[in-house]
Amino acid sequence: MNNTVLELENISYKYKDDLILNKINLKINSGEKIALLGKSGSGKTTLISVINGTIKPTQGEVKLFNESFEELDRKQKSKITTIWQDLRLIEDLSAEQNVNCGLLAENNFYFAFKNLLNISSFKKAHKYMKLCRLHNSIYDKKIRKLSGGQKQRVAIARSLIQESNILLADEPFNNLDPKLITTIKNLLLENADKNKTKKSPKTALVALHRLDLLNDFDKVIGIRDGKIFFNIKRNNLKKIHLEKIY
Amino acid sequence: MNKLKLNYTSLSFIPILVCIPLGYQLINNINFGGFKLFQEFLISAFNPKIDNEIIIIVIKRLNETISIGFFSWLVSIIFGAIFGIISSNIFYKIFNIPNFFYHIVRFFLTIIRSIHEVVWGILLMQIYGINFSIGIIAICIPYIAVNSKVFAEQLETIDYKSFESINQINAPKFSSLLTLIWNPIINTFKNFGLYRLECSIRSTVILGLFGIGGIGTSIFLSFQTLNFRELWTYLWSLAILIILSGLIFKKIKFNTTNKILSIFFISVFFITILFSFSYFLYFIFNTNFENFNSVSSLFKSSSDLGLFDFLKLISETIILSLLSTGIAISLPPLVIGIFNNNTSKIFIKIFAFLLRLIPTPVILLTLLTFNNPSVSLAALTLGLHNAGITSKLLFTNLDSQDKRNYIAMKSLGISKKTSWLLGLFSQQAKSYLAYCAYRSDIIIRETAIVGVIGSVGLGWQLQESLSSFAWQEVTLVLIAYSSIAIVGELINGKIKNSLT
Repeated sequence: MNNTVLELENISYKYKDDLILNKINLKINSGEKIALLGKSGSGKTTLISVINGTIKPTQGEVKLFNESFEELDRKQKSKITTIWQDLRLIEDLSAEQNVNCGLLAENNFYFAFKNLLNISSFKKAHKYMKLCRLHNSIYDKKIRKLSGGQKQRVAIARSLIQESNILLADEPFNNLDPKLITTIKNLLLENADKNKTKKSPKTALVALHRLDLLNDFDKVIGIRDGKIFFNIKRNNLKKIHLEKIY
Repeated sequence: MNKLKLNYTSLSFIPILVCIPLGYQLINNINFGGFKLFQEFLISAFNPKIDNEIIIIVIKRLNETISIGFFSWLVSIIFGAIFGIISSNIFYKIFNIPNFFYHIVRFFLTIIRSIHEVVWGILLMQIYGINFSIGIIAICIPYIAVNSKVFAEQLETIDYKSFESINQINAPKFSSLLTLIWNPIINTFKNFGLYRLECSIRSTVILGLFGIGGIGTSIFLSFQTLNFRELWTYLWSLAILIILSGLIFKKIKFNTTNKILSIFFISVFFITILFSFSYFLYFIFNTNFENFNSVSSLFKSSSDLGLFDFLKLISETIILSLLSTGIAISLPPLVIGIFNNNTSKIFIKIFAFLLRLIPTPVILLTLLTFNNPSVSLAALTLGLHNAGITSKLLFTNLDSQDKRNYIAMKSLGISKKTSWLLGLFSQQAKSYLAYCAYRSDIIIRETAIVGVIGSVGLGWQLQESLSSFAWQEVTLVLIAYSSIAIVGELINGKIKNSLT
């Protein structure tokens, strides 16, 4: 049975004269946890942006559940959630309002309105913020007043609250202290939550720099100059692979 | 020989050179017989008429002014926000609307904005006659476009990455739009809304001078009858209104986290929209359409305006704008720099306040008592009024500036004036010039008012053509006037961008 959830067919992306992604072919199966490795400027962020539809590829096609991404409706597209490297939170909104923004896809305009007026329910937002070890004293604080680590966790909570099937994350462990990294990694990659307090994304593609965080991933993809150099099981990763991309 | 190098400080002073041709023409046009009248005008400032009868008139007229000002502000700020959203790029990105429509909307608003409220007022009065609502509509038309520009500029500062992030959540498009624009809209309203109310009241006063009602009409009537004591009663009461409203505005703080207050504002928002639409429909269906016949003869009527005369009027308007801008830019730093002591500062501030307070037509009419109508006199009027406004900004910025450089320079034995120039003003020059570039947009629009009163430029021609129902001329004048304002706005936009 074909359980491919995401497929990239011959994807290229050109910005001005630079070829950022060069004929990328990739299949991601349901439940796979994939680490994306590569040095800065190798095309990791662009690849994530192409997959979530933010950037249109110059060439090639992205398929989600065997259907062209372009042809999917809004609800289907919302099955992908992204944690951006630069977080992309709304600075003037409070932490809980930002997390609630993750619920915009499944709610109507009135919910967005209530969220901005601070009269919507923040129960679900608080649950995910708590899971991300955010203290309740910062729930109503504006994003601009939070520390880097707190902002990072708000962005993660906003992504988790979407309860999407596919997670795309670009350096999600930046700004986090080592203890928190383990907690957040478990939150993002756990297949099944024992306490049923949250739904973890089943499939994940996570761009990383730190090799010591690879142990929970099934596969590793190495990217350099916009090309995939290897796409292997984590256990098969050797030094020679890393030398190719770094 | 060393090359002359221009910096922001010197650029702030060079425009004062406009005073040379201006002064020459003014001296040649002096009418010494009128000085007595001018003297009487000045003396009356210290002896305004105060009795029960005039106090009742003042209260009635101020009430009219506040009502017109407030309603036109309320409608223009709300519709300004709506049009601001429609004319911002974020709207077109979210709804995937081609950029072509964005440019169309912007261009349309630029044209509407380029025509001064007085011109709209005169036009509407000619068509519909004088009534309370004409004042509101005349102010609302350009103000909606002006406010929309401010809102759109703020909305365009929204980080594109925030847009991508919200867009990626795949929320309904209206939810995404609302979430992104909410805070920029609220912040613009907080920073800019109350200032626009003050502008609205000032515009009501100016429109009053042209017969729309309110305190402006009383000012004009008392000037026409040379009743200066009465005139000053109205001017001082207007001053009290502006000072009081300024003090009240400072006290008002919008707390957007207060749920009841937020719901109140939203209710006002929707009620205003509903009321405006209802009124618009009422206005359309209860208007005497016979008046439109004169407008429909627009293309039938012939124009007596020759090409040479028309070009002369255009060049007069451009010269008028340039001369006024020169005065508005350079006069405040020059005067503040020369008379740089605490006592002089107080006098300059009072004088600047009076220049802001007294409507430009009244300043011009006063100056006309001892000088013949000319471009220079109109330019002096417009320049002085706007210098009152630019000096307020300059004083505010200078007062809040760190004075360590100035003190350090003085302690080195450098003269007070040079220390002020290099230690204080030089740090403000760039932002001051950027504000002046914005101000010159307004000056171009205001040439219409002084034109009507001072018999110069397109403003005067507009009045003439309207009086003789020469609608083709009116159209020509409006197109020319609008074109000058649009070109001016484009040039000033470039200057502003290079300064900020």
